[in-house]
Amino acid sequence: MNRLAEKMTVIGAWVCGLALLGAVAVLLGYLVMKGAGSLDSALLFGDVRPADALLLRRQVFDGIFPAVAGTLVLVLISVSLAVPAGIAAGIYLAEYCPARTRRIFGHFYDILAATPSIVIGFFGFSVTIFLHRTLAPRLYPCLMVSALSLAFLVLPYLIRTTQMALEGIPAGLRRTAPALGATRWQNVSRVLLPRALTGIVSGTILAIGRCAEDTAVIMLTGVVASAGLPRSLWAGYEALPFYIYTVSSQYADARELANGYGAAIIVLILCTVLFSLSFLIRSRLARRAAGRALP
Amino acid sequence: MNRTPPQTERPKITVEHLSFFYGGFRVLDDISTSFGEHRITAIVGPSGKGKSTLLTVFNRLWEDIPGVRMSGRVRIRFGDRWEDIYAPSCDLPALRRRVGMVFQTPNPLPMSIAKNVAFPLRLAGRRKPGEIARRVENALRAAFLWEEVKDRLDADATQLSGGQQQRLCIARALVLEPEVLLLDEPTSSLDTAAAGVIENLLIHLKRRCTILMVSHYLDQVHRVADRITELADGRLVERAA
Repeated sequence: MNRLAEKMTVIGAWVCGLALLGAVAVLLGYLVMKGAGSLDSALLFGDVRPADALLLRRQVFDGIFPAVAGTLVLVLISVSLAVPAGIAAGIYLAEYCPARTRRIFGHFYDILAATPSIVIGFFGFSVTIFLHRTLAPRLYPCLMVSALSLAFLVLPYLIRTTQMALEGIPAGLRRTAPALGATRWQNVSRVLLPRALTGIVSGTILAIGRCAEDTAVIMLTGVVASAGLPRSLWAGYEALPFYIYTVSSQYADARELANGYGAAIIVLILCTVLFSLSFLIRSRLARRAAGRALP
Repeated sequence: MNRTPPQTERPKITVEHLSFFYGGFRVLDDISTSFGEHRITAIVGPSGKGKSTLLTVFNRLWEDIPGVRMSGRVRIRFGDRWEDIYAPSCDLPALRRRVGMVFQTPNPLPMSIAKNVAFPLRLAGRRKPGEIARRVENALRAAFLWEEVKDRLDADATQLSGGQQQRLCIARALVLEPEVLLLDEPTSSLDTAAAGVIENLLIHLKRRCTILMVSHYLDQVHRVADRITELADGRLVERAA
């Protein structure tokens, strides 16, 4: 009986693993099948020559180039707002704050993590409207508001992964540097953070993915269907998920729908590029952190 | 072996009414004693009864553990000045530079041999490469490790054998020239030969510093210690050395 259960567990685990892989393969296959045909320079740039579009000599109206640029800029801004704050908060929680505060703050971060993105978007929208009516009459939903709202959306992941990565460091390693006269910050910066970097980067990758795919937040805080390339932090912008959303809900013909699938493939490619970038940064940081501890 | 009777020695550390609590559990119960300069004092006793805790009282390393409490006074004489190490004015990193500690399991950092030993110097803000190289060599010599590693100082420290790693950790603790050295079962993860090298090393080291060591091995303690004290029921009981 016991051996049967053992066997079933193993088989079950394999089935689940394969089902997951299969689901991803089916998803990717379906996307490629539907969208590969539309993947050409017309999808990105319409009838404008790619070189002209990339050098900003001519505006693109037909293609999704402005949406790609918008998403890229949006992700970069929100992640560079959220990552320093998230890592700093994670370090504080894991290394500095008293246990009581840690519990209380932890609950708040969990609530924030569980907040649906549409609520975050609505919050960003409300704050913008409030500011518009009171302090900043020229403020409208815009790139900056979206980026800030997205930063709030991903902050809890960053905080929690940083905190967990630091707290997971074994006690033996944790007390090595203090026993040798390290201050708390020296211990954090020279021993603990380099050790926790892998975990922190995983949190960052999660955050990048979340910023690139989220539609609910940006819909309420500044994305528009045809704004052209992002021009200013205080203006509207286009974004890929929003493009996919509008196309899928109101496409006029088969070609436009195929463009939607093409855009979905582009989002995946964009995320892959951003992930690779963060891996690259991690290995750089790891080498530098090591280099600083061992000059 | 140079074994002066305890009553003629010059005290280095004094402990007054030291009590230590884990939650509601009293690990150390109103201990008052002193430890002689340039002596090896061994603390023996059953495990899990607070011997390691007692060691961390002298470099305040227990303070990061949540839910513990200490009362009493601990003073260490640095040069000719007695310092209350729990006084608010005490500089914690500076204290730990003068009171080194070596743990039960060797804990080299994931870096080269030379950089491991230089690490405390860097933490203390030393920058001159010549000075660092000289002090690293001195520390490695003092820890009986120089001859074995002088040709591969840039090799990864985690590649060394267990005994070598432990001597590396001793060298790393010695590089700041501490006046007190705390050793928490320094040989319990090593084989007999490697442990023998370290025992020999400790006897040499007491010329440089005052050594407090926790050990399980009574025969080892009898070989190296000038004074043996047993921690039982939160109290220290003297044993014949």
